[in-house]
Amino acid sequence: MKITITLATFVFALLSVGAVNAQGGEANGVAYFRSRAFNVPILAGWEDQSTETVAQFHLAEAGATIRTAVVPQDDILAAAGADLSAAFGVDFGAPIYQDKVNLADGTWTALIYEANARISASVMARLAGSETVVISFVESDPVGRILMLAATRSDESAADASGEIATAIDRLLDPPATLERQESLALPSGEWLLLSSERYTAMGMVFGNDSYLAIAELAGEPLPMLADAFNRTLLGFFITPDNSPYLALGLAATFIILGTLVGSLFWRERALRKDLALLQALAGADG
Amino acid sequence: MWEKPKLAASDLQIEESPQPRTLRILTVITVLGFAGSLYLGLAAAGTDILQGEIQRIFYIHMPSFFGAFTAFGLTLIGGLIYLARRREHWDRIALAGVEVGLAFSLINLLTGSIWARPIWNTWWTWDPRLTSAAIMCLTYAAYLMLRAGIDDLDRRRAFMSVYGILAFVTVLITLFIIRIVPETIHPVIVGASPQNAQGGFEATSGVVMALFPSLLLWLIFMPLTLIWHRIRLEKRIEALNRLKTLALSE
Repeated sequence: MKITITLATFVFALLSVGAVNAQGGEANGVAYFRSRAFNVPILAGWEDQSTETVAQFHLAEAGATIRTAVVPQDDILAAAGADLSAAFGVDFGAPIYQDKVNLADGTWTALIYEANARISASVMARLAGSETVVISFVESDPVGRILMLAATRSDESAADASGEIATAIDRLLDPPATLERQESLALPSGEWLLLSSERYTAMGMVFGNDSYLAIAELAGEPLPMLADAFNRTLLGFFITPDNSPYLALGLAATFIILGTLVGSLFWRERALRKDLALLQALAGADG
Repeated sequence: MWEKPKLAASDLQIEESPQPRTLRILTVITVLGFAGSLYLGLAAAGTDILQGEIQRIFYIHMPSFFGAFTAFGLTLIGGLIYLARRREHWDRIALAGVEVGLAFSLINLLTGSIWARPIWNTWWTWDPRLTSAAIMCLTYAAYLMLRAGIDDLDRRRAFMSVYGILAFVTVLITLFIIRIVPETIHPVIVGASPQNAQGGFEATSGVVMALFPSLLLWLIFMPLTLIWHRIRLEKRIEALNRLKTLALSE
């Protein structure tokens, strides 16, 4: 009896402590911004300007903002434009670059916008049901543009992303540049190839069938840090699946089995009483 | 000449022993604890951002296996002591352990399968852990069927004691198989998961806080309470069967 009460007290104490302390919100030891619609890693060292539904991190010294939002529109271009305009108060107009790329979690559209000489935006967007996920890197650096994009690898046997970097430079820089200096860089997001010249810096990382690229119109000191932050956001982005009907099914199965077990104890007890009454009635009739 | 006395209705009584106070308290604790552990797993614990809401089934899935372990463990102990002392009480414990353990292991199997559908994209796979758990369930289901098929009471008790002892091997195999056979996709909670485990559970402090009371409840309170009730019922069923035999012999 004493043991039962002691154990019960222990269980209820644990229940109380558990109710206060049980929590979630981390994955693989990384702190995540969580909203109803999506999760992205929190960028340490960046100013957190997030709201309940939008993840936004700003780095003042680089004039850079990384923003993740889900826009309730199924037109990717319109959704990306609307999100950028609403967030930065500038009309970004039509994109100067647009390409589709298949990443592990679906087909994304890479978009690059130039609102004016001061502000440009690199956007990765994809459909999620009837909504559009928009992950944007917006920078307002008057010295030179910084652009981020992902591209399908043209040669999967190539050891690095130099081919995709060259293609992107041809399409995006005027005049096209040759970047002669080359080094490799290990960042939290992965192994990067860094190419540079007096005027430009470009980076590329191979991941699966795609290359993740960053190009800066400057001999960019901050580029590795910015490219790493944007791609950690892009690669770390995920939507928590809505599988609550399966939870309901699991609970139903649990209750049905436990109910059947407990119910069978009652049914058998009732049957036992009926049998006993019948026996007594028969014995009474005989007597 | 001696005349066999007639059996009167008053002779046909089953001894009504009142429910012990400890059992009543245990029942209340179990019901309240079950409700509390559900609240903890379904409401207080945070949502797993990778797996979504289905991860909460883990707070039932894992403890239910350990509840089955306790129940089948009592079957093992009941069987061993029955064979040593031949007292029917231990056979009742063994039987009750099988019924409760089978219910718990079915919960474990079904909740696991339901969890696997959104996480592994399949209801079932012939993974070593899943296969051994299914074999365990079938072995104990066969216990109940075999038991019903043996008429002689003493033979039935002795045979089922031996069966209950041997059947416990399936419990141990299910418990340890993911440590022995590395080709499993079933996640491991304590220690490192196998290389190819899919949909793992991180034993974060939040998860442990929500899990531990539930584990304790399913491991101790739920099996003991249910088994105790089942033993009392079995005792009354046996008494009724004796009365039936007595009445038929009249």
